[in-house]
Amino acid sequence: MTMTHPGLPASWGWLILAFMGLVSLWGLFRPSPATAATPALSLPRLPLLGRPLHRLTTSPWPLLTLKLAMVLLFLTIIAAGLFGTPIPERNIATVLTWNLWWAGLVFSVFFLGTAWCAICPWDTLAQWLVRRRLWRRAEPDNSLNLRVPRRLRTIWPALLMFIALTWLELGLGITVSPYATALIALLMVVLATVSLAIFERKAFCRYFCPVGRTVGCYSQLAPVELRPIDADVCARCKTLDCYHGNETVEPCPTWLVMGRLTQNSYCTSCGNCTRSCPHTNIAWRLRTPSEEALRGGRPHWDEAWFMIGLLALTGFHGITMMPFWEDWMSGLARLIGDSGRLLASFTLGLAACLALVAAVYTLLARLTHRLMGSELPFRRFFSAQAFVALPLAFAYHLAHNLNHLVRETTRLGDVFMNPLGIDAQPLSMMEKHMRHMEMLIPQDTLFAIQAALMMFGFWLAVQITRHRSRRLMPDGAPVAGWRLAPLFAFAVLMTGFHLWLLMQPMVMRM
Amino acid sequence: MNSTHQRIVQALLLILVAVTASPLRAHHILGRPAYSLNEDSNTPPSMQVETQIGDYFVTYMVYPAFPRPNEPGRINLYATHIDSGEPYSGDVTFTVRDDSWFSSGAETLGVQPPDDNVYRQGFVFREEGDYIITARFEAGGEPYIIDFPLRIGAPAPVGPVGIAVGVIALVLLSVSLIQRKRLQRSRIRSAREEAGR
Repeated sequence: MTMTHPGLPASWGWLILAFMGLVSLWGLFRPSPATAATPALSLPRLPLLGRPLHRLTTSPWPLLTLKLAMVLLFLTIIAAGLFGTPIPERNIATVLTWNLWWAGLVFSVFFLGTAWCAICPWDTLAQWLVRRRLWRRAEPDNSLNLRVPRRLRTIWPALLMFIALTWLELGLGITVSPYATALIALLMVVLATVSLAIFERKAFCRYFCPVGRTVGCYSQLAPVELRPIDADVCARCKTLDCYHGNETVEPCPTWLVMGRLTQNSYCTSCGNCTRSCPHTNIAWRLRTPSEEALRGGRPHWDEAWFMIGLLALTGFHGITMMPFWEDWMSGLARLIGDSGRLLASFTLGLAACLALVAAVYTLLARLTHRLMGSELPFRRFFSAQAFVALPLAFAYHLAHNLNHLVRETTRLGDVFMNPLGIDAQPLSMMEKHMRHMEMLIPQDTLFAIQAALMMFGFWLAVQITRHRSRRLMPDGAPVAGWRLAPLFAFAVLMTGFHLWLLMQPMVMRM
Repeated sequence: MNSTHQRIVQALLLILVAVTASPLRAHHILGRPAYSLNEDSNTPPSMQVETQIGDYFVTYMVYPAFPRPNEPGRINLYATHIDSGEPYSGDVTFTVRDDSWFSSGAETLGVQPPDDNVYRQGFVFREEGDYIITARFEAGGEPYIIDFPLRIGAPAPVGPVGIAVGVIALVLLSVSLIQRKRLQRSRIRSAREEAGR
C-alpha cells in the first residue's frame, strides 16, 4: 500500500492565482524597463568572516575532505545496492540516492549554486582513476586529450541523458530498486572515466552530464557566483592561469576564462581558478539571485532547449506522482494494447509532455516575436526568451521536492544503522502511518514556503520577459507590456499547471 | 450500552476511519513490483505486481517475496475485467523460462482453475537465476499472455562490478598504450629531425 501526501490547500491556491493576476496586469500596462547591474558582494570583502572564508575556499584541503566523504558514501551506496536488501525503504542505496540526494540537490543549487559539481563522486573517482592524483595537476599523458567532436559540443547529449534518466527513474522504476540504483551509479562512473580518458579536460561535465547541466542551468538563479574581485586585473592579465592552469593546479575543466565569465552554467565550482590565479583575484560573491537571468545569461540554441526540456520534465515528474496518473496510463495502455510494465504507454506520455511544453512555448514565443515586431531571427529570440522557463521550472522543482524532503526523510537515521538492510522487513502498516505523520517542519510552514516559491518563480518569469525583451530590440527601445502578453500567458499557463499539481495529493515515493 | 448506542458508536468509528484514511489508497504503481508485509506481519513479505492486459487487470503475488532455490513458493494471480470488475473464471496456464542469455525452452508449471477467484500455482526452483513466469488465458476468443519476472536467490553482485572495473581497466590500458606509442613516435620524429640537421 502506498500513501499519498495532502496537496496545497485551496486558500493558498487562490492567493497565488490572485498574485499572478495582479503581476500579469502590472506587466501588461508597464513598458519593459532598462536593466541596471545590481551590486555583488565579494566574500573576501565581508567584515571579519571574509578572510577566513576566502582562505577556506582557496585551500585544496576542505574540498578534498568533502570529496573523500562523498566518495565513501557513494561506494557505500554501490555496495548496499549490490549486496543489500532489495526492499527500497530499508536500503541506504535507494533512500540516500532518491529520497535525500535527488530530492535535495535542487536545494543545494538554491543556496550554493554549482557547489555539488565540486564534490561530485562520479567526477572525483574518474579523476583519481585517470589522472592518478588526489588534487594536484597530473601529467597530460594520462588522457588521449582528444577534442570532443564538433557535433557533440553542445548540451543536447545532456538533455537526452536527462530524458533517459527520467525514463529509468519514473518509467522503469529504478528508484525502488537498490540493485538498479547501484548499476546506474556504476554506469555514471564508467561514463565519466571513459570521457576523461578520451577527451580533453572534463568533457563529461561540460557536455554530457545530465545532473551537472541541470545544476548548471538552475545555478543561473543562485545567489552565489565565482567571479573576479576586480575586473580590471583580469583585463590586464596576460597569463590566463584560470584557463591554462599552472604548474600545480589544473586548468578550468570546462574551458572558462574568468575575466569573461558572465553566467554560472558551466562553472563547476572546482576552485581551480581561485588557486591558480597569480593575483588572487577570483573569489565567491553574493549577488541578487535574478541578476544573471535578467542580464548576464545568453543561452544558446541547445541551452534554450535544455531549459524548455527541464520545465517539461519537472512538470512530468509531478504528474507521474499524482494518483490519477495510473488511470491515464491504464487508459492509454488499453488504447494501444500495452501490457506488463506499461513502458510503451509511459514513453508515449513522456514524449507527449515534452512535445506539448515545447510546442506551447514555441507558439507563444512566435506570437510575442510578431507582436514585438522584432527584426531578430526567431531562433535567437527563442533562445534569449527561453530563460522564462528557468524560474518556472526551478520554483516548481523546489516546491515539489520540498514535499518529498519534508515528508520522506524523517527516519533517515534508520538506514545508517543498517545500511544494507540485513534481515530487514518491508515497512509495516504501522511504520507507514508513522512516517506519513512525521514531518521535518510543520505542514502549514511547508505550504507557506511552497506558495512563496510559486509566487517567486512567476514574478521572476514575468520580470525576465520584460527585461530581456528590451535587450532584444535593436536600439534597446522599451517594449509596451501588452506586446509581451503571449509570454506572460506562457508563465501563467505553466505556473497554473504547477499550482494545480501541487494542490493534488501526491503519492509517497516509497 | 444498548444496540442503538452501539450502532451510533460503530457509525462514528466508521466515519472516523474513513476520514483519517482518506489520504491512504490501496495503490501499487502499475507494472512495478512492490514488497509488502501482510497486515498482521506474521506471514513473510510478499512481492506483488499489478498490471493490465487488454480488458483485464491482473494482480500477481509471489510468496515468499525473495524465494530461494529448493524453497517452495507460490504464485497467486487474480484477473478482473476492467469495465465490469467481473473476475475471470476460466483456466490459467503457468509456464516458466530461464531469462538468462543463451537459454531457450519453456516448461509448464501447471494449469490452474480458479479457487475463490484466485489462481494458485506452487513452484520449487533448483537453481538461482532470473526467470520469467508466463500466465496464459483465453477470454472472449482472444488469447491473453502476460509475463512476470521472478528472481530466485540474490542477484549476482560481482557481475556489474566486474564489468565496470573491466571496462575502466580496458580503456585506461588502451589509453596508456596509445600514449606510449604517441610518445615513441614523437621521439623518433625528433631524433630524425635532429639527424637531418
